[in-house]
Formats: sequence, structure tokens, C-alpha cells
Amino acid sequence: MNEKTNIFIRDRFTEFYDKESYRIEAPASIKQREFGFLLFKEKVMVRHKNFGSVEELRSFLKNNVPLHVYYSTAYYEVPEEEMENKGWLGADLYFDIDADHIPTKCTKIHDIWVCSRCSFTGKGIKPEKCPVCGSQSFDEKTWPCEVCLESAKQETIKLINMLTQDFGFSKNEVMVSFSGQRGYHVHVENEDVWKMDSMSRKEIVDYITEIGLEPELYGLGKVRSRKLRMFVGPSLNDFGWRGRIAKGTYEFLKDSTRDDLQHLGLKKKAIDAIIADKDAIVKSWQSSGPWNLIKGVGSESWKLIAQQGLKSQSVKIDTVVTTDTHRLIRLANTLNGKTGLMKVAFPITHIEEFDPFKEAIAFKEDEATIIIEEAPQFRLGEENFGPFRRQRAELPMAAAILLLCKGLAQVAE
Amino acid sequence: MEARLVLTKSDLAKYPFIPEAAEYIKLLDLKINNLANPELKIVLDRAENRIEEALLSNPPEVSYQVRNDDIEIPSFPVAVMMAAAINNSFIKGRYALAEARRIYNLLKLEDENAVLEVANSFKWRIKATERTATSINYEFALYFIDFLENAKNFHEKEWKLINRALWNGWVYLTKQEVARLLQEEVRKHVEKKLEVDVRSMLPENVIERVDKLTQRYASKIAKVQFEEFPKSAVNAAFPPCVRQLYDGAAVGRHLSHVGRFALTSFLLRVGLPPDKVIDLFRSSADFNERMTRYQVEHISGGRGSRTSYMPQKCDTLRTHGICPGMDELCRKIRHPLAYYRRKLRMLKIEAPTDQK
Repeated sequence: MNEKTNIFIRDRFTEFYDKESYRIEAPASIKQREFGFLLFKEKVMVRHKNFGSVEELRSFLKNNVPLHVYYSTAYYEVPEEEMENKGWLGADLYFDIDADHIPTKCTKIHDIWVCSRCSFTGKGIKPEKCPVCGSQSFDEKTWPCEVCLESAKQETIKLINMLTQDFGFSKNEVMVSFSGQRGYHVHVENEDVWKMDSMSRKEIVDYITEIGLEPELYGLGKVRSRKLRMFVGPSLNDFGWRGRIAKGTYEFLKDSTRDDLQHLGLKKKAIDAIIADKDAIVKSWQSSGPWNLIKGVGSESWKLIAQQGLKSQSVKIDTVVTTDTHRLIRLANTLNGKTGLMKVAFPITHIEEFDPFKEAIAFKEDEATIIIEEAPQFRLGEENFGPFRRQRAELPMAAAILLLCKGLAQVAE
Repeated sequence: MEARLVLTKSDLAKYPFIPEAAEYIKLLDLKINNLANPELKIVLDRAENRIEEALLSNPPEVSYQVRNDDIEIPSFPVAVMMAAAINNSFIKGRYALAEARRIYNLLKLEDENAVLEVANSFKWRIKATERTATSINYEFALYFIDFLENAKNFHEKEWKLINRALWNGWVYLTKQEVARLLQEEVRKHVEKKLEVDVRSMLPENVIERVDKLTQRYASKIAKVQFEEFPKSAVNAAFPPCVRQLYDGAAVGRHLSHVGRFALTSFLLRVGLPPDKVIDLFRSSADFNERMTRYQVEHISGGRGSRTSYMPQKCDTLRTHGICPGMDELCRKIRHPLAYYRRKLRMLKIEAPTDQK
């Protein structure tokens, strides 16, 4: 990024914090939180900051105009001290859902990777090894596409359902926000969760990502004796993972082809039986499910089918964020320096209608002329832009800033 | 949560850590200085006997002496004080476990109300319930945070949260399972009490007893000896996860923070010098000698909090997607270092001349 572009972005960020910083709200117990900032100057991270009030924080932002603004999920006795002497009091329960962790239909074709050794460049998911020089190290330029963000939203909805249904958190305790780039943050502010250590949080992560689920403990895969051949499989009305096993199995079998079943390693006899009895299987969910219904499909086969079905039921979260009890997280209503979009918080009831490409726009006035190297087609607000390739364009400010922040364009001379 | 019941004296004798038992002991006017009193010898005897039982039984368990409540109740805090004065972590750990196992076996036989009473004394959010799932009848529901606080230390798969019936924040449990979780709570409770340094407060006759007891069992206490690792790291004994991280780092592949931590702490533990570990990261595209040195030295305990860090357990590596899948030996262990230790032994047997 050239100096002129850098200054241009910083000036827009300055205007934003001048005008909009009144919208920034203090996180709960602001005095107990650590703040961190990535500054424009030399891109240095400043940590261990603390503010007595939201006014102090706002005036710091106006005066310093950081590229990124973070605060700790943790509460400390003395947040400005070095890590060892902060005196950890507790931490919110935080979840990060990022399109990077989710296999999506767009296959990330909009992302660019560059081999850091030979500079060979490609699109999509980066390969294991550079096809030219064999290096395994790449620089990546990612792009927040509609498909990626829609997948992230669907994961977020699944997570919110687990938190409110299985874990029983109330709708007021669960907060959701768009990160300003490729995903969503969900967090729980509730004194009960504060004191949980990493080990307890890890168990919650395993619950959400479906790690360590033992089908036998749910009645699948093992028949103890000949007499006990009948086993009670999960049904669609069951709660928690029992219900999810049923739901996943139901969805998988409903649409599965012979190939899908073969892929699981089922025997021909079992596959024939499932294909022949498909209607009966679908109907069976109205009563006790298909578990004992079909001749030729034994408990081991059911276990394989259920395990396949489970894959669609887990939530893909960044496991490290949740288990780290000292994490810094982007602050709501501040700018994401990678896109110039805002991190925006909204009520969980709004998740279905939430439109990140509309509601996260920070720069709503003016236009800018930029020179675009290459950019995919994208939408901001109601307007579509691009695709662009080596061209000059006058764009609304938000679109221009997005391309500039992404390093895909320069300010025109 | 439930209406409190009137606790009998034998309840206090069975569960001497509950607040009501502490109240009762206060009434006895049992002061530390009085322990030299000859009429309290009978309490001291039973207290000492509690610790002895912990050392002699296997698995360790303190007995419950029926119809002896007046001695059973005060002998518990006295025994805890005596055990706290013993300068041996093995005896302390074993005593805490023995008291905890005693509770488990007593609670299993109790009715619902007594179980709730004991659980409430630890401020558990618990309620009686009736619910059936997977043909198991659950009698209790425990708030998931209280559940995790104790179950997180268990390794069996049925204790993982994902394998439990969880609804609206409540984990459904049988009486036996609640008893098992309370055993863990009691073990932690006693262990915490044993951390307090009480030696200087105790009268001489008690110190004398404690020291004699320690001497008597000194030879019998099997010292848990850790096998030393060989001086230099043996790559052939690395577990699959470390092997993959090691190979990745060697060719400059980007490793996640969790992966770098696991690899670094593992290599330092098995005897690779910090400089060699730093060298390993040199092929990385974003290698920064100063940063890498700082991180490696931090993990080795040479900086910052001075703690030398252990690699994460298998379970944790699995959560963070570091585990590449288990081999035969992985199934028998829970920690990458345990894998290394075992594999070394196997390598020695298979190739005795291979080691330098």
C-alpha cells in the first residue's frame, strides 16, 4: 500500500471517529477491561490500556485513530499491568465464527494466495504445496463474499440455538455481532460463566463442534445381547444431541443417493434395503424412527449413517477463541481496518434479516476515485460493483475504502 | 433449592465438612491448644487412624464408624490439620482421595434428600427430577457449570458434556453419578485445606504424632518415580501430532498458535535445547528471530512468569484440530509425553543397540 493510500484511509478513519465515536458504548465493567489498538503508524500493537469511562475511551479514539480497536473478554483487577500481574477475575464466554473455518459453496474462489518463496499466484483455497516450487508458505488475500457470510450466518444461528436451548442462556444474555469482515461473534455476558477455566470452556467447545460424541452412549452401534436387539434410537423430538442425531440422520437419508451410501462404507445389502424402503424411512420419523425398521441394516450401519448426519449439526467455531480466557476482541461500532466496515452488534432476534453488506457500512457520504488492480464483483447496500481489473473508477466511499483496505486498489493521483 | 431437613448427628458424622458439622464442632469448644489435653486423646487417635486408613487401603478409603458420632465428627478437622502438617504430597493426595471415596460410598446408599443436602453445602445448583433418556432414569439435574467444574477432570467418555443429556442448562444425572461428582468436589475441598501451613500452630504432641506417622510409612510409600528421558531428543519416538508439526515447521508451513505451542513445549521437555527449537522455525516465511526467541524462552520458563510449560493433553489437541488421528499407541495414552515415554521403552526393547 502506498503512502498516499495509507494517509487517505487514515483521514477517513479520523473523520469517522470524530463524528461517530458517540455511538461507541462501554463494554460491561469497562474499568476491569484491557484495551488494545493497532495503530496506523508502523502498524504497532499497543496493549494493556485501561479506561475509567467510555468518554475517556472515545476521546482516545478521536485523538489516536487506530486501525483496529480491541478489548479483553477478561475482567482484571489491574488491567494495565503486565499479563502475569493483571489479576484475572473472570471472562465472558466468547465464540468466533469465521468463514475461513467453514467449507462453502463459493469454494473461496475470490481468495488469492501468493507463494511466499516464488510468488506464484492462484485463486481459491490455498494448496498444500506451491505447484511450482513446492513451498508450503503463502500470503493470502481473502475476500468477504455473500456466500461465505451467509454460511457463517447459518452457523451462527445454529450456535445461538444451542446456547439458548441446550445451555439455557436467556435471549438477553446472548449477544451477537458481525465482525466487519468474514464472520460473526457471539458472546455470553452472565456472571455464572465468568469463573469458568479453559478446561470447562473446552468441554463447551467440544459440545458445540461435536468432538468426542460417542454414538453408543446414544443407543447406536452396539447390541448388547441377542435378546436386546431392539434399541431405542433418537427421535426428532428429543432434546440436545439426541435430537440432533435424529435430525442429521433424517436429513442425510432424505437426500442420499446410492453413491453417498456407498461412500460411507455400507454393505450392498444395507444400501439396497435403504433405497427400497426410503418412503417407509421418511414416514417412520413420525413415530420412533427407522432404527429397528429395516431388515438388513444393522446397528453398525446405523452408527455410520448417524455419524455422517451429525456433521451437518455441529457448529464450526474457532476453538482457540473460546478456550482462551485472556483474548482481545474487536469492540462494537469501531472500524475493521481490513475492510473499513464496522463491527456491529444486534439483537439475536434480528439475525435472520441481518444484512452485513448494508448494516455494517460506515462511510455513507462522498465518492472517491481509485485505481483498482483486480477485484471480484460485490454488493454494498443496494448497489452492485465490479468485477474490476486494472481500471480507474469513481466509487461511493464505502466501496472505495473496502478495496483500498483490502489492498486491491490505490488512491488515484 | 429444596426445603432443608433437620440433620441428625450421624449425618454430621458421615459428612463432617458440611457447614452444620462445623457449627457443631464450634459448640464443642475444640481449640488447637486443647489438643494436648489427655481427654482428647481419643479424638487424636481416630484422626491419626483416618490418615492411616488412607495409606493402608487400596483403593484408599477412610471408614465410617457407626455409633461413634462424638468422635467421628471432631476427628475429621483434626485429621485434616494433621495431614496438612505432613510434608509429603503423596500422603496428602492419598488422604484427600480416601475421604472423598468415603463420601461416594456413603452417598450411593442415601436417599434423594441427603444427596441434595450435601450438594447444597457446596452451593451446587441442583434439583431433583424425573426424566428418562436412552432408557436411563435420571433423578437429578445439575447446572452445567457446576457439572463441568468437577467432570472436566474425568477422562471417561460418558463424562464428556457432549455425551450427557443437557437441556436448558441442566445436566441430567443418576444418583450414583451425582455421588461420583461430589466425591471429586470433596477431594478438591480437602486438598485445598491441606495446602494451609499449620505446623507452627500445632501443639508438640500432635507434631510428634504426625512425624512418627510419616516415619512409619516412609518406607512403605512407594515413591512415584518418573523415568528420566534420555539427554537428547529421540525423533523416532515422537507421537503423530508432534511428528506432523515438526515436519511442517521444518518446511516452513504456517503453524497455528496452539500447534507452535504444543511443538515447542514438547521439544523443550524432551531435551532439545532452546537454540535448536528456534532453528526449527527458521524456514517459516514470517520468521522473526527476536519474536521466536522470546516465545521459546517464555515457554521454557526462562522468561516472564518463570513457569516452564507442559504440552497440552491429547484431548485439548483434538479440540483444536492438532491431532492428525490416532495410531495404536495413542489409544493407550492421554498425553503426548506419555506417548514418547512409552515409545522410547518400546524402541529400546526392539533395538537395544540403536541408542547412543
